[in-house]
Amino acid sequence: CTAAPRPWRLFGAVCLLRLPRITQPLEKEEEEMAALMEQIELEKSHYSDHELRKMQEEEQLRRRKESAYDDEDEAPGKTVIMAQDLEDKWEQKFLQFESAPRITDADKNNNRTSLNRKLDSNLMLLVKQKIGNQELWLLPQMEWQPGETLRSTAERAMTTFLGDHIQAKVLGNAPYGIYKYKFPRAIRTEDNVGAKVFFFKAFLQSNDLSQAELNGDYLWVTKDELGDYLKSEYLKKVNRFLLD
Amino acid sequence: FFLSSWLPQVVPCRGSHWQSSLLALRASLPVRAQPKKKKKVDVKREQAQKERMKKKIKKLEKAAPELIPIEDFVTPIKYSDSSRVRSLPPLSSEETERRVLLMKKWCLFKQNQDKAEKQAIQTLVAAQQEALKELRLESEELYQAAIRRDEGLFPFEREGPSYTPPLPGYDPPEGKCVDITKVYTQ
Repeated sequence: CTAAPRPWRLFGAVCLLRLPRITQPLEKEEEEMAALMEQIELEKSHYSDHELRKMQEEEQLRRRKESAYDDEDEAPGKTVIMAQDLEDKWEQKFLQFESAPRITDADKNNNRTSLNRKLDSNLMLLVKQKIGNQELWLLPQMEWQPGETLRSTAERAMTTFLGDHIQAKVLGNAPYGIYKYKFPRAIRTEDNVGAKVFFFKAFLQSNDLSQAELNGDYLWVTKDELGDYLKSEYLKKVNRFLLD
Repeated sequence: FFLSSWLPQVVPCRGSHWQSSLLALRASLPVRAQPKKKKKVDVKREQAQKERMKKKIKKLEKAAPELIPIEDFVTPIKYSDSSRVRSLPPLSSEETERRVLLMKKWCLFKQNQDKAEKQAIQTLVAAQQEALKELRLESEELYQAAIRRDEGLFPFEREGPSYTPPLPGYDPPEGKCVDITKVYTQ
């Protein structure tokens, strides 16, 4: 059925999320509770084989020191590995291992174009686009063309700004949010009242974007930093479908 | 005529008339009397044996299958030794007090966290419903395309976050993992 041409222009936008790679730091209550749980577990547990062995060896050492050093039952030259030695060895090995830092260089420099920043939270892609005669920071959007679904519009937006080799999984066919705005009176006509931007969510699958050809200005920001770049009405609508 | 032509010759002769050729061994049992009766008894005996075996098999099958023991629920006997019991000083009253208060704080914390999560999910769903409503106003065709099920979405797999990010160029130590889980068949 053919409907009368609607006065709203349709746009499909994609909110590309880089999911967190490390765990978030624990809150104070969580830390206290974790310590309590460990203590209770220790109290309710029984001795393990390793602990029994350690206790026996400590007993032997103590008895040998108290008695007048007559250990004829121990053949000289035979080295016995004590449980304590094993523990020291394991501790040494652990201290020697250096893991990757949780706060990266990009965090310290506050380099917002890098993906290696804020590894414990979601990062979203923002690009600078020209709307009307203004350059605005937005989630990448493209105008809908007849013959395609809104999801493919969003995917087109993604490939336009990030190149063809982007590996992202769009979550479903349905839009997650909508931002409706009317054009300023100067360009508003009967047939062209305003625009509706439909947002789609996608998860970034690959970790490095060296293959991607990023055109123009782009930023990867967290939910809290969105307020620095987006306009208030737009931000309100976007915040509704973003989980922290 | 003389019997001079008769010379004592060694004539090959069979041991008994059951031996068909001289070089072959005795092929059949030297049965003397009533061969047919033996066959019947044999067949009957064999049939009786088969039936007995079948009955045994049926009995075994009828018995309920043995339950597979859950290894996690069975404590090995060596751990119920009393020498293993930990000896710790008893808890002071301040400690128990502190623990109880901490549990209550935790309860409240978790309740607030759960409420916030549920609220977030509700706003998510409301925002999506609003978007779909607006889309329907725009075009029915796009709306139908939007509410169609996405086949490629599930099964959705993702590796969870770790405590530290992966170390670039890390060479894990080599080793072999031998699986010693016991497999039970009923």
